[in-house]
Amino acid sequence: MPLAYLDYTWDDIVPIPQDDGGDSPLAPIAYQDDYKTAMEYLRAVMSVEEFSDRALQLTADLIFMNPAHYTVWAYRARLLLALKKDLEQELIWIEEVGEQFPKNYQIWNHREVIVDKYDNPIRELPFIEVMLELDSKNYHVWSYRQWVVRRFDLWITELDYTDRMIENDVRNNSAWNHRYFAMFGKAEDVARTAIDDEIDYAKTAILKAPQNASAWNYLLGVLKHSNRSLSEIEDFCNDLATLPTTEPSTDIDMDQITSARALEVLADIYASRHEVEKAAQAWTLLAEKYDPIRENYWKFKKDQTIQRFAATA
Amino acid sequence: MRPPVPRAVFRPRVVSPSSESSASIESTTTSLEGTPGAKKNPRTPKTFSTNPNIRMAAAMTAEQNKVHNEALSVVDSLITESSATQEETARLCAGLILDGQLPVLQRQLHTDFLKIPMTFQLPPTFTGLDASKPWLMYWPLHALGILDPDSRTDDIFSRIGPSVMACLDEKEGGFGGGNGQTAHLAATYASLNALAMSGDKQVWAQINRRKLYKWLMSVKRPDGGFSMHVGGEEDVRAVYCALASAALMNIITPELVEGTAEWVSRCQTYEGGIGGAPCNEAHGGYAFCGLAALCILGNPVEMIPKYLDVDGFVQWLSARQYQPEGGFSGRTNKLVDGCYSWWVGGCWSILEGALPGITAKDVLWSKADLQKYILFCCQSSRGGLRDKPGKSSDFYHSCYALSGLSEVQHRYSFNPKLRVAKPGEYSFMWTSELESPDIVIIDEQNIVGPLNPVHVLPAGVGERMHDFYASFEMLEL
Repeated sequence: MPLAYLDYTWDDIVPIPQDDGGDSPLAPIAYQDDYKTAMEYLRAVMSVEEFSDRALQLTADLIFMNPAHYTVWAYRARLLLALKKDLEQELIWIEEVGEQFPKNYQIWNHREVIVDKYDNPIRELPFIEVMLELDSKNYHVWSYRQWVVRRFDLWITELDYTDRMIENDVRNNSAWNHRYFAMFGKAEDVARTAIDDEIDYAKTAILKAPQNASAWNYLLGVLKHSNRSLSEIEDFCNDLATLPTTEPSTDIDMDQITSARALEVLADIYASRHEVEKAAQAWTLLAEKYDPIRENYWKFKKDQTIQRFAATA
Repeated sequence: MRPPVPRAVFRPRVVSPSSESSASIESTTTSLEGTPGAKKNPRTPKTFSTNPNIRMAAAMTAEQNKVHNEALSVVDSLITESSATQEETARLCAGLILDGQLPVLQRQLHTDFLKIPMTFQLPPTFTGLDASKPWLMYWPLHALGILDPDSRTDDIFSRIGPSVMACLDEKEGGFGGGNGQTAHLAATYASLNALAMSGDKQVWAQINRRKLYKWLMSVKRPDGGFSMHVGGEEDVRAVYCALASAALMNIITPELVEGTAEWVSRCQTYEGGIGGAPCNEAHGGYAFCGLAALCILGNPVEMIPKYLDVDGFVQWLSARQYQPEGGFSGRTNKLVDGCYSWWVGGCWSILEGALPGITAKDVLWSKADLQKYILFCCQSSRGGLRDKPGKSSDFYHSCYALSGLSEVQHRYSFNPKLRVAKPGEYSFMWTSELESPDIVIIDEQNIVGPLNPVHVLPAGVGERMHDFYASFEMLEL
């Protein structure tokens, strides 16, 4: 790739070579010459706090060679603001970088700085959408989306957006987390009917894939946040996990359990009602059959409950 | 005289990341079983005392040590992108795991891999880590510190100081990701950890703690959190890196930590885990950072239940271990990854050590299954450890997968009687003992050393650096 910064005159600059420390430093990197030279110029202009177009171009070239270079990004943000550059152009440029380096996360803090100054979210949700199409669980993109929603008060579209993402992959936990943010991230009371809708939404999703922890976590999170009782979903859980009336069967179908999580919730409901034997039966089933790698945890829950009950009885 | 500057550029035996694709997985297993070098010379570093209770891997069938190699009994029929990748990963891992056996930890192979940054120039592909130079020192140094401490020669120790000090941002007072780079909290954490391992008191004495403190205060936010650098992102990693650095340097003040525990508490999500910032998705890496931060801020016995919903946290943590892989995932419905052996496993170490009432006398998860994942699925035939089968090994995953193995093999305890209880001391009050064979059977030749579960340093290393600064009069900050 041709390096555009070299189109400027640099004769007045004395490049500062990298000093990795001592005569035998640890972890030296055999840089390509282009990168090494550009970094020498960067150190030189940064050391005198130069704010110029050539420095700006240098940061662009360096970012394409190493997009994780946070120092370069931070310097670039200062340059753009000091030189009063067209911020929309910068946003377009960031989009190119983002699509070329989808895993890079330094761009998000940079974009936040620029968009905050630009004070207009028009390009944000479309760009975020493109990036989430590349990686639907990209942590930094979702986190940036939260910032945009808060900063520009864009709450209204968010439930629909998460619905689309959840429709694509009902196990996309990032989308579920964002839905929770869309519901409760605003410091406002949420109407009871809206909570009811969310409970139904989560239940519908669970029925599509009863083992899906994302939808369960959401359902339980909504109930807890709204101070609603777990017993509200007892029937729902019973449909997904019916405890055998006799000894645990070795035939899975006989147990009629399609969701280990339903069993877990039932155990908690029984324990809260001091129905210790039934709770213990559910935990035993989890330990022995439905989620055995977590056996120690289920045994702990069981022992803890039995002890608690013994202490209060 | 010091040996001449190494000029050779390291050329890995496996060059392209994709060349360790699923096709070569089987050969990976074969080579783990059959690598002659390590079998001929299974070197247990003399530093670690051996425990008479340890049995050889042949005893793996013991009831208490059962592993879960079979697929889950109930799997949803609906296929989505998440379930397809999950099924593929489970299949790959299950194909590598052999019943009733454990492979040998390829100590020599991993040691050779980890010494690359101390022996060769790294190839140009490492330019992407040019803003993470202190990490390229910390990761392998720490990993070697628990894997094979004797492999770190005096020559290496003497080169740490100058290499780290080259990253110091003299204007700001913190360390940057490389020479001439802006001070950054992650780089500062890795730099100080590397310096701690150097044991180089002359270099320790050169650090301007007052200036470092002022810089830490300059990245502190009014809401109690920290930004990674001036103008940088605020997240719980930044909190952890700031506090761990300040604890090592003995510069924790009430002003520095004001509102910070409350900020960490706000990062706990409805799922029970901890996200990078309030409302962000629960994530294993951030969970460790948040929990460890609380262990620096005060007595963890009090801090953890005060600032976290412990039941919710434990529930979420427990759900991170997957069957049949045995490893941990970082988030709900994401795949297992060797690095979470530490990020999630480290949370378990801390909870077990600080809250024995919560975790009773037993371990709440399966150490035998995590050990299985690390040894069968994370060891790369080229040396080093990896995320999962099909991925290349690297220094980051080697560091945290080996730390996870240490966590499997040792039981940690917070001991409030070890030191005078005051701010800055709490993260240095951890002891360890080898895990009981009732919990996990460890092959003697696979033993790695204990670590400090809050600082992620070989045991005793951070303590020495902290005590060096504590021996001075308290700075007027």
